[in-house]
Amino acid sequence: MDSEKIKSALADITAEKDPTLKSAKLASLVSALWAEQGVELVVVGGSAIEILTEGEYVSGDLDMCHLSVSTLPVRQRQEIMGLLGAKGGPRNWQVAGTYFDLLGPVESFSRTPYRRVQGPYGEFLVLQPEDLLVERVLVSYYPEPHPPALKCARELAIVMLDGVVKTDWSEVLRIANRPEYRNVEQCKALVREVANELKIKSPLDSD
Amino acid sequence: MNSKSKVPSIPIEGSISWEDWLKGRRYRRELSQLVAPGINRRKTSSSDRRLKKLFNGERGLPFTPTEKL
Repeated sequence: MDSEKIKSALADITAEKDPTLKSAKLASLVSALWAEQGVELVVVGGSAIEILTEGEYVSGDLDMCHLSVSTLPVRQRQEIMGLLGAKGGPRNWQVAGTYFDLLGPVESFSRTPYRRVQGPYGEFLVLQPEDLLVERVLVSYYPEPHPPALKCARELAIVMLDGVVKTDWSEVLRIANRPEYRNVEQCKALVREVANELKIKSPLDSD
Repeated sequence: MNSKSKVPSIPIEGSISWEDWLKGRRYRRELSQLVAPGINRRKTSSSDRRLKKLFNGERGLPFTPTEKL
């Protein structure tokens, strides 16, 4: 990406006042720049949930992980982020009026692909909703009940049940059954509850 | 598209265009509000100090109202 394009993108993102758009545009720009160096990034956590649900959840920071086990050397990271006038580093930066956090290698169990959004500065990846839902349900109950995580899980469940975020429900079950989660019954209960509100049958219930 | 409306879906395979993702924002917000009304942003986190410094005492920019999406 040439310096004029970067400058124009940066001006757009800096001026953006909508927190979800700001995150998505920054994810698009940062993904493009890192991809030029051979590293694919994926949006995770609250930023990913916001992109999928518009649930008024995201804070003023964008969380991303890299798909490869290793990241770029610190000097190269600082040089890439320097192209954006970023401050700080080497794992979190203040950039374009927000924060960008690079959390390390991605933790994903889903066999479905990362979701892809063709952002204004290039395509960016979003963590699979199947993973996000099971994780949010877990955090809703462990280590103790956590109502904000439960609301988040409900938001994810409704967009997935509606079909506006396409979902492989067999993957949700498989992930929830994994030793890392073991929360199938809680996932089933939450999805059933939201499905009841939509007056539809839960895809996680067999009969 | 999802089964009940003309709102573009975020697919499993392939990608969603920026325009389609934007088009779906209001519908996704309305759905989310059905089961989790109000602002759901966490009240606190380990990033509070830096966030509140950058966002005038808040943890992020204000959300765009649903009717303006």
